[in-house]
Amino acid sequence: MTDSENIDRYFQAMADPYRRGFIERLSKVPASVKELAAPADVQLPAVLKHLQVLEQGGIVISDKIGRVRTYRMRPDAFSAMNNWIEQRQREMNVAFDRLAAVMAEVPEEKDH
Amino acid sequence: MGINVDHRSFVIERELPGSPAHAFRFWSDHRLKRRWSSCHPDWTIIQDLFDFRVDGHESLVWRMPDGTEQGMLAHFLEVHPRQRIVYAYTMRTDGIPISSSLVTVEFEGRNGKTIMTFTEQAVFADANNGDIRESGTSVGFSRLQKAMMDYVEDTTR
Repeated sequence: MTDSENIDRYFQAMADPYRRGFIERLSKVPASVKELAAPADVQLPAVLKHLQVLEQGGIVISDKIGRVRTYRMRPDAFSAMNNWIEQRQREMNVAFDRLAAVMAEVPEEKDH
Repeated sequence: MGINVDHRSFVIERELPGSPAHAFRFWSDHRLKRRWSSCHPDWTIIQDLFDFRVDGHESLVWRMPDGTEQGMLAHFLEVHPRQRIVYAYTMRTDGIPISSSLVTVEFEGRNGKTIMTFTEQAVFADANNGDIRESGTSVGFSRLQKAMMDYVEDTTR
């Protein structure tokens, strides 16, 4: 992905207020389509369409567990961006994805 | 030339598998913490110290493939097992301070899982002058992006 392509998808994503809202929310915590739709005054199919634009643009990724599709920020989304706090927040979210994974792998100690 | 700094904070809340005691182990045990907190396989670790206690230090220094030295130095201020950790840390690139932060990590049990709340209050060097990792980005463009992100934050709160 070149810087110029990054910029294009950045502007395209930012051109819509709902998509800006979804990016803001997903920067904090991964969420399902339903959770994202709840506070927005748009129908579920419209929410899905916005999320597809963000996913095709390489800004978010999703995975489906059972019937629930969860969206999260891509670790390399907006890699051309020069914003410290967004970068730090993304890095921490990616680290916490790993934390959740290793916590599930390692058995609990019984002595607590 | 004055020094421009940017004070910012952010909160990340995550649901984690297992009890708060289990979650706490992954913050307090050196080996377990490194299983999720180190994320740059192409960086060489040149120092890795972890002394988890009140007034203990954590120190991680890496050499990046281009020779740049990245450092993270932390000081644990409060340790409340299974409940809360408060620490201060600073990031340095080739010895130059990039950011300094106060972090509070809270653990709360809920239905056999842990709700972890991570709050970071940071002071960053001016992004327009200080981003060593993205030095190729033009200053004008950085300013535009920053203005746009500020706009996004203003309109979504």
